[in-house]
Amino acid sequence: MAQEKTLVMAMSATPKGFDPDIWVPGQIEAAVNLYEGLTKYGTRSGANGKVEVDPSKIEPHLAESWTVSPDGKTYVFKLKRGVRSPFGNELTAQDIVWTYEKSALQKRTGQFMRTAARIEKVEAVSKYEVRYTLSDANRIFLGALTLHLPAIFDASEAKKHATPDDPYATKWLALNTAGYGPYHLQALQAGQQAVFVVNPNYAFKKPYYTKMIWREVPSPATRVALVRTGQVQYAEQIPFQQLTALRADNTVKVESVPGFGGATVRMNPRFPPFDKVKVRQAVAYATDYAAIGEAVFLGQGTRSRSMLNSPIAGAVNAYKYETDYNKAKQLLAEAGYPNGVDVTLEYSTNWWWEEPLVLQMQASLAKAGIRVTPKRIPSTEMLARRTINVWTVPFLTHLTSSFVPDPSYNMFLTAHCRGSSNVNANCDAAMDKLIDASVVERDQKRWLALIEQAQNLQADSATFIETFLPGTHEVFAACMKGYVWKPHNRLVWKDLSCNS
Amino acid sequence: MLAMDKTKAQAWAHGFYVHAIGLTRRSPTFVAGLCMVLFFLGVAIFAGVIAPYSPTESFSYDILRAPSDRFIFGSDGNGMDVFSRVIYGCRYAFGIAVPAGLIMVGIGLPLGLIAGYKGGLLDEVLLRTLDVLRAFPTIILALAVVAATGQSLISMVVVIGVLDSPIFARVVRAEVLNLRASTFVKAAVAMGNPAWRVMVVHILPNAILGATAQLPMRMAWAVRISATLAFIGVGIQAPTPEWGAMIRQGAEYVITGEWWAALFPGLALMLLVLGFNLLGDGLTDILDPKRRGVGK
Amino acid sequence: MGGQTARIARFIGVRLAVSAPVILGIVFLTFMLIRMGGQDPVAMLAGPMADEAMLNALRAQLQLDQPLLAQFANYMVRIAHGDLGVSWQGGIPVLNEIRHLFPATLELVLLSVALAALIGIPIGMRAATKPNGWFDQISRFVSLAGFSMPTYWMGLMAILVFFYILRWAPAPMGRLSMEVAAPAVVTGSILVDALLEANWRAMGSALAHLALPVACFTMLAAAPMIKQTRAIVIEIMGSDYVRYARANGFSAATVRRMALRNAATPLLTFLGSELTSLLAAAALIEYIFSLSGLGQWGLNAILLGDFAVVQGYVLTLALFSMAIFMVIDLIVMLIEPRN
Repeated sequence: MAQEKTLVMAMSATPKGFDPDIWVPGQIEAAVNLYEGLTKYGTRSGANGKVEVDPSKIEPHLAESWTVSPDGKTYVFKLKRGVRSPFGNELTAQDIVWTYEKSALQKRTGQFMRTAARIEKVEAVSKYEVRYTLSDANRIFLGALTLHLPAIFDASEAKKHATPDDPYATKWLALNTAGYGPYHLQALQAGQQAVFVVNPNYAFKKPYYTKMIWREVPSPATRVALVRTGQVQYAEQIPFQQLTALRADNTVKVESVPGFGGATVRMNPRFPPFDKVKVRQAVAYATDYAAIGEAVFLGQGTRSRSMLNSPIAGAVNAYKYETDYNKAKQLLAEAGYPNGVDVTLEYSTNWWWEEPLVLQMQASLAKAGIRVTPKRIPSTEMLARRTINVWTVPFLTHLTSSFVPDPSYNMFLTAHCRGSSNVNANCDAAMDKLIDASVVERDQKRWLALIEQAQNLQADSATFIETFLPGTHEVFAACMKGYVWKPHNRLVWKDLSCNS
Repeated sequence: MLAMDKTKAQAWAHGFYVHAIGLTRRSPTFVAGLCMVLFFLGVAIFAGVIAPYSPTESFSYDILRAPSDRFIFGSDGNGMDVFSRVIYGCRYAFGIAVPAGLIMVGIGLPLGLIAGYKGGLLDEVLLRTLDVLRAFPTIILALAVVAATGQSLISMVVVIGVLDSPIFARVVRAEVLNLRASTFVKAAVAMGNPAWRVMVVHILPNAILGATAQLPMRMAWAVRISATLAFIGVGIQAPTPEWGAMIRQGAEYVITGEWWAALFPGLALMLLVLGFNLLGDGLTDILDPKRRGVGK
Repeated sequence: MGGQTARIARFIGVRLAVSAPVILGIVFLTFMLIRMGGQDPVAMLAGPMADEAMLNALRAQLQLDQPLLAQFANYMVRIAHGDLGVSWQGGIPVLNEIRHLFPATLELVLLSVALAALIGIPIGMRAATKPNGWFDQISRFVSLAGFSMPTYWMGLMAILVFFYILRWAPAPMGRLSMEVAAPAVVTGSILVDALLEANWRAMGSALAHLALPVACFTMLAAAPMIKQTRAIVIEIMGSDYVRYARANGFSAATVRRMALRNAATPLLTFLGSELTSLLAAAALIEYIFSLSGLGQWGLNAILLGDFAVVQGYVLTLALFSMAIFMVIDLIVMLIEPRN
């Protein structure tokens, strides 16, 4: 009988729900460990010999193989046999179909992924075969299938909790779990802790940790104290400035990965003075990148060179701006602001670097005559005002990132007029055309050329000020091994182990 | 003529000196408190001269430096000099704590007085209205009102002052109830004094003791609540050098050994509140002749 | 005795009648204020990949697009049926959560205020008997340090010193150590429930976990208590009533008892005020020590625009405050000889 191994995590709040279609705080962090996809990313050996994700390699996971039609619009997946949920039910094509039906009904995040990957139809061909029909062949599709959403549920179990006015058991699935992933919710005490146990029927390598205790510890300083004293083996969301002290502490291990999310400052071209490209470029020249790198990212961030950064394929050094106050003043004068201009930079508390970055921007832009007033707003207000087609924030901070390290997908999300992470009304017809073309371009060389063109176009328009990649920094007990960063940027529990 | 002016000035100075000595002997606490408050007031006024750096100047390469020659109190998480920020913070302390405290007294004192003295339905209504304010968690009310009336410092100060007046009014009312039944008040009423006169001349001076006791506490609370509001993003905007916000941010670093960001503004706050405290106690010593010699 | 009971009954009756519209007013104000405060929770709920169509659909589903008064009317109807709504984060019913979380906050606040009164009142009285003496000066300084020290800082310093450095306190990670089984829930207060089933292990663990937060909170609460007691007692000692008694040759002990009797009213009133204001301040202590109480939950809801939760939180605090005031005023009425 295997011994029970427990990992205690100090998290900022207990998860408020587990249905990946309905975002609530903590949901994603849990769901990536509860639900898995048909495919997964392969790995490679990266710098200093560490294992890292290789976005160019997509491998089978819950699907053991698949075939593609010549026009790239039809995929048939053969499901792996003997995949069972904690309830003992086997994965069949019916589960997949059920999942997509549920998402279509809820019209939330799952539905969005479906649209982004151009999925038109999902049908069961036989007990273990599923056919996906796409409206257009595209590169996002296989990568999207690595994700935890739309989640592949154990439909047989879920259906037991369906009711006449809730045919897809969404109420039950919000607070319970039934999937084919490595872990499963055992108990939830809202406000205190959630306990997850390993899926005894998990079809792949058994995780080291059989029990995960997710404890709510809202104060970051308290989380630091707990991990340093060994009371927990993982502490979430540690303030960046405390990482330096933690790196020096040998009871703790800090794993840092640059990731591909970039800390940016965005300008909305619908609001003067940002309607003039010269003003936007002036801001780009008046930004003190070196100071930001030191003051905000403590010399540990990677400089962002474009709206796309490695490991995303096709990323080039498109962002050519460096600090040059004279050039900034000149551009401002040419745009009709010889005496400078007054602007308000709004930010929130979604990311730790927002306020320090805003203060640095204020200091450095002032040297070119751009007088910045920082304004902090509640995160709900920021979320509401920056939503697509609402777009009422002229000047704001935002993290460019996504779940899928695909360049077309990232550009669509963040720079396309219909992208849901387009927070600053970035609506340029030429840009949209490039992005749309790249999504369906099947020739590798032409595709890379399109992506490069798009990045250059974006850099020239200067609606994004690219600063640094804040990176992802996870804090563990010193013995922890096996951490591998995944593109969804959340901690994956099944890889972890600790032989103390 | 010049000789005359000189003696006049001398006489005045001499008079002042005598009064000062007399005052000190009567209440050293008052003088001590006054000196402390005046000291901070002076710092607030002459901040521009005393502070070595601008309070919002960020030294990008000097994040969280320990106290040194360059940064007497160290530098904070944004690379700003803590010493300069504490100095300029005096302005905000006086700009927030004092007006808020005064508003609180200005509203709570008369309300408590009237409610306690008149009693009856008026008392009930006043009390229940005050209870509405009282039962509200300050955060929500403050957040909503400030968001609705605009994010200015003034609206925040008014909100804080108004929100705390009920506690004060209740205490005043309780003391007034006590005093209402005392002999000298009954005598004053029997002698035909109108109600307002009894309240103002006879009861008020005695109720003031409770007022001066509460004022410094409420001022300290005002600074603390403005820090909490700043945390939510209401009222005080970064990088304003306000002590409460500084303490709130600095406290996080205590756990990793960077103690200076929170300690110095904390000490400054304590000392200023102490000053007002002594001032208030001293004032009561001087104003109320009955107070002296009790229990000695 | 019948007259006394009648008095009490009349008092409670009047108070309840007068309080009802006040509670209604509070509920109404909260309802309106949080909706006008500029927060729009729909975007947060819709998730990071929502578009305007999704937002509008969600808004309609949550009835947020209806006129404010209509929304309020719906809310009142639901309250009449005992339904306080659900949290938008996960659909958890608000009433359940209140029942679940309030005892933790109550435990913290009641313990702290009781300790603060036990410590603060005697100190304040002793300081008042010899104003400006050495005891007075020291107690003044200590109480000053207590109420001008910021809660947040004090809590973190306590964790740093007593947990991290000294390892005396248990991990600030909840109300019980993880390996200790919780007692059966009767009142929701772990201390009381453990006592009820003679579960000493759980009780010990609960006490250990409460030690630091209660200590911090007591310091916070004791300071104003000391100060106010001192002020009240000094005032009474100097009052005509007491002077008259002294002049008439009553013993010092009798005079002190008379003074205490008079001090009781303002002191009790002050205690009531402190209790209610500390109830809201508990949120910060709960946050630092992960005590999963009502305050933590309410604070989070305010930040995230979870309207039903905020309304439930405010309603709970309001009802509790009114209840405290009523009890205090009742006691005052009973012991006050001249009213």
